[in-house]
Amino acid sequence: MGKKLTLLLVCILTVSLFSACGKKAVEEETGAKASEVVTAEETSTTADEKSLVFAWWGNQLRNERTQTTLDLYTTEYPNVVFDGQFAGWGDYWTKLATAVAGHTMPDIVQMDYSLLRQYVNKGLLTDLTPYIDNGSLDLSTVDAGIVKSGSIDNGVYAVCIGVNAPALLYNKTLLEENNITIEDNMTMDEFIRVSKEVYEKTGYKTNIAYNLGDSFLTYSLRGQGISMYEDGKFGATSAADFIPFFKFYEQGIEEGWHLTPEVFAESKKASVEQDPLVYGSSPDVRSWSTMIFSNQLTAMQQAAPEGVEIGITTWPSEDPKASNYLKPGQFLSVTNDSKNQEEAVKVVDYFTNSIAANEILLGERGVPASSVVADAISKLMDEKEQLVTEYINKVVTPNCSPIYAPSPEGANEVSVLLDQLEEQLCYGVITAEEAATQLFEEGSKIVESK
Amino acid sequence: MKKKNRTLKSIIHHILISFFGFIMIYPLLWMIMSSFKDTNTIFTTAGNLIPTEFILDNYINGWKGFGHTSFATFFANSFFISTTATIGTVFSSSLVAYGLARSRFIGRKFLLVAILISMMLPAQVMMIPQYLWFQKIHWVGSYLPLIVPYFFAVQGFFVYLMMNFISGIPDELYEAAKIDGCSFYGIYARIILPLIVPALITGGIFSFIWRWDDFLSALLYVNDSSKYPVSLALKLFSDPGSSSDYGAMFAMATLSILPIIIIFIFLQKHLVEGISTSGLKG
Amino acid sequence: MKIKRKAIKKFLYNENVAGFICASPFIIGFLVFMIVPMIISLYYSFCDYDILSPPTWAGLSNYIKIFTDDSKFIKSTLVTLYYAFVSVPLRLIFALIIAMMLLRSSKLTPIYRAMYYLPSIIGGSVAVAILWKRMFAMDGVINNLLGMVGIETNFSWLGNTSTAIWTLIILAVWQFGSSMLIFLASLKQIPSSLYESANVDGAKKIAKFFKITLPLITPTIFFNLIMQTITGFLAFTQCYIITQGKPMDSTLFYAVYMYQQSFEFYNTGYASALAWVMLAILGLVTWLLFATKKFWVYEGGL
Repeated sequence: MGKKLTLLLVCILTVSLFSACGKKAVEEETGAKASEVVTAEETSTTADEKSLVFAWWGNQLRNERTQTTLDLYTTEYPNVVFDGQFAGWGDYWTKLATAVAGHTMPDIVQMDYSLLRQYVNKGLLTDLTPYIDNGSLDLSTVDAGIVKSGSIDNGVYAVCIGVNAPALLYNKTLLEENNITIEDNMTMDEFIRVSKEVYEKTGYKTNIAYNLGDSFLTYSLRGQGISMYEDGKFGATSAADFIPFFKFYEQGIEEGWHLTPEVFAESKKASVEQDPLVYGSSPDVRSWSTMIFSNQLTAMQQAAPEGVEIGITTWPSEDPKASNYLKPGQFLSVTNDSKNQEEAVKVVDYFTNSIAANEILLGERGVPASSVVADAISKLMDEKEQLVTEYINKVVTPNCSPIYAPSPEGANEVSVLLDQLEEQLCYGVITAEEAATQLFEEGSKIVESK
Repeated sequence: MKKKNRTLKSIIHHILISFFGFIMIYPLLWMIMSSFKDTNTIFTTAGNLIPTEFILDNYINGWKGFGHTSFATFFANSFFISTTATIGTVFSSSLVAYGLARSRFIGRKFLLVAILISMMLPAQVMMIPQYLWFQKIHWVGSYLPLIVPYFFAVQGFFVYLMMNFISGIPDELYEAAKIDGCSFYGIYARIILPLIVPALITGGIFSFIWRWDDFLSALLYVNDSSKYPVSLALKLFSDPGSSSDYGAMFAMATLSILPIIIIFIFLQKHLVEGISTSGLKG
Repeated sequence: MKIKRKAIKKFLYNENVAGFICASPFIIGFLVFMIVPMIISLYYSFCDYDILSPPTWAGLSNYIKIFTDDSKFIKSTLVTLYYAFVSVPLRLIFALIIAMMLLRSSKLTPIYRAMYYLPSIIGGSVAVAILWKRMFAMDGVINNLLGMVGIETNFSWLGNTSTAIWTLIILAVWQFGSSMLIFLASLKQIPSSLYESANVDGAKKIAKFFKITLPLITPTIFFNLIMQTITGFLAFTQCYIITQGKPMDSTLFYAVYMYQQSFEFYNTGYASALAWVMLAILGLVTWLLFATKKFWVYEGGL
């Protein structure tokens, strides 16, 4: 018995040693190759090898493309080596926050609009204005509004690398089959009318951005001329401003044309594959529309069942021009922990302006911010991606207002509170008025205490 | 008549056990079968266990991994981490358990309580302080935080597990060994270790699996994506907001439980062989 | 010199000292890897700390808030207690029953053991959590199987506040295999000589179970009980992936709530306070369990 055990242990140890050695061998090989390249180029540049850490979140496709782009950069500038770190959305922020605590933030980070203000307020991101002024960061071909969206208090802290806009994706096939038409820039009343019609004719319900945070609320409020947040508090002056929003759900559930909350309990939050637009085995768990963002059209079409075409149009609102906006899908920022800020800025510039890089990235994060680049790659994109670009350029851009100011601290918590209230409302536990009051009172407490 | 009764009982016994066992592993079977289905149809054909056709696309896609690192590397990483941490855990825990079980030194009770308390603090809240600490000693960015602590019996579960088994060893054996001139340490090596092999193996299996499934430590301390273990890599398949490749995830998850199943089957015999009672009689 | 060396040797081999030295790896590990983080987290619990900027002292305000102004704290504590006190006994009962049934070694036993143990091998993984969620969906496997035995339903197990927690409980109980293994190993430790002498005395099966088996494995039962309770209170991953506390916080595990506070709301100081409160609660429960030990755990050894 002892012998067999020993034999097993030896085997396990050997296997793990081999795998570790095997890895080491591969590392040594690539290390050798890298240093070869460096020595070859030593004569031309002051080759002090720089290693930049670049962190982003995303899926397999984005990882693949981003990594390839980084490799491309290294072939052009061989003294710069990248350590690409990626994770899923939630894990990404956990890891980044921990790195902040330890002062080990990556040189370049992908940044999101909802957290931008928080990170800037804590002095974690580098102000890129000096680099714009001296030309290392060329944002001349980027729309001024987009540049501004990455700015806080006159400093530019984040560069947009993908432009999005709110997009109502809908089941075009279903509507056509039932002779229902919709047009861009519809009002909320029109949307509700269409939802009722679809429900009567097909049994498909609808989904008003259920449990997706405060995006739609912000949008609706803008249509009424109210900001979600202003100077660190609610823009709304009383709970009454929130009532119309909650009424949509109340009405939808009562009249039956809005999906019931059980459907959402079963699907993964914000997952494209499990969105009721494309997933569900019977009409009463399906929706004819979903309210998300333009850069998810391709993924949504891929997830759609055979024969279903997904169309794209604007979110409904009383005043579409006031509501709609171009949103920086993702930003790149340089952090203050970086020891190679100049080089990091060059990389950000590369992602923004290099056509070769964007031919690889192909707008996976959103339409490229630079109009020059966007034009250059449009012929390489497939039909759906082109549709997105068209939507952004032709439908949204001419008919929108500047995006809301970056959310204040505590906005995340308020979003979660809002989701909760929506849930309780849809389960029939509270009324729209109660939901509005709770949101106003508790939400104000949260935001103002920061 | 008696023989018939016994065989009948035996058959019923087998039927019940295997039926219930089948229910137990049904979810697992479902996952394995799904890994052979087209990823877009996995959930729409959830009711059919056996796929209409077996396709290997998920395995091929999944194996590619992320950002130039294939799952071969991820598996090698996981294997390395789990094995070394497990070896450390098993031996250090048994040693500590022995010391606590068979001697009465000052502070023993305090240690027992400390071990319990160390198990009761949630990992999520220790994350940031531990990260800060590891960063101070420059261990971040390496495998050290994932392996070294386990050589110091930091997981109280295993210490208590071993103690439980050590307490089952009768005092006569110790007396006999001492009479033969065995030292305290000698008893550990010659008497305890062989006798608690079932506990060592049970503990080893648990430890291996826990290390294998742990992604939180890897998330924080492993920066180079080519050093990610499988547990972390699997999570990358399901990023919300963009397309999730469940087929690939299930395929890789199926592969990732294979080594554990193999180890388990291999070690099963030792696990339940029990203590040889030859030294006890008389 | 020789005398000194001998004295040192004698010292090192003294039973108590040797015991201490054997236990020293834990002492070192605890001091190096645990004490410092624990103290830091205790410090955070008295601070306002949002990770992104240094902590600022806030005295007892976090703790006061927990006990006076946090309905989610109460809800999650109740949910977690319910989860632990239901799933742990169920697990142990199944584990013991199946372990007893698998004691006799027939040729198929290894396969059976593997079947029952398999769930706990894969239970901790993300893939299984996602799988589990789909299984309990309205059009999922569970409802399909019910349909096959004649119960037509598309009940939403995950969407209903009274049943959602049970999907998590069942997931925990499904993984009883690990406890079963521990029971198996300790059942095997009981020398057959005891059963033989009982047979000679003409004892029946049930009597043998209650008079020999059960008393001798009470230490193992106790061990499993403590370990499972601690794990149950700290459960995180499954809840995080499957329900995130929905619907309406009916499945909000304490550890998930704590994680949310720390990494989604950036209230790490508050989250640390929550952790220490949990430690106190767990400590209390464990202490109570230990207090009952002398009433039912047989300490006599063989």
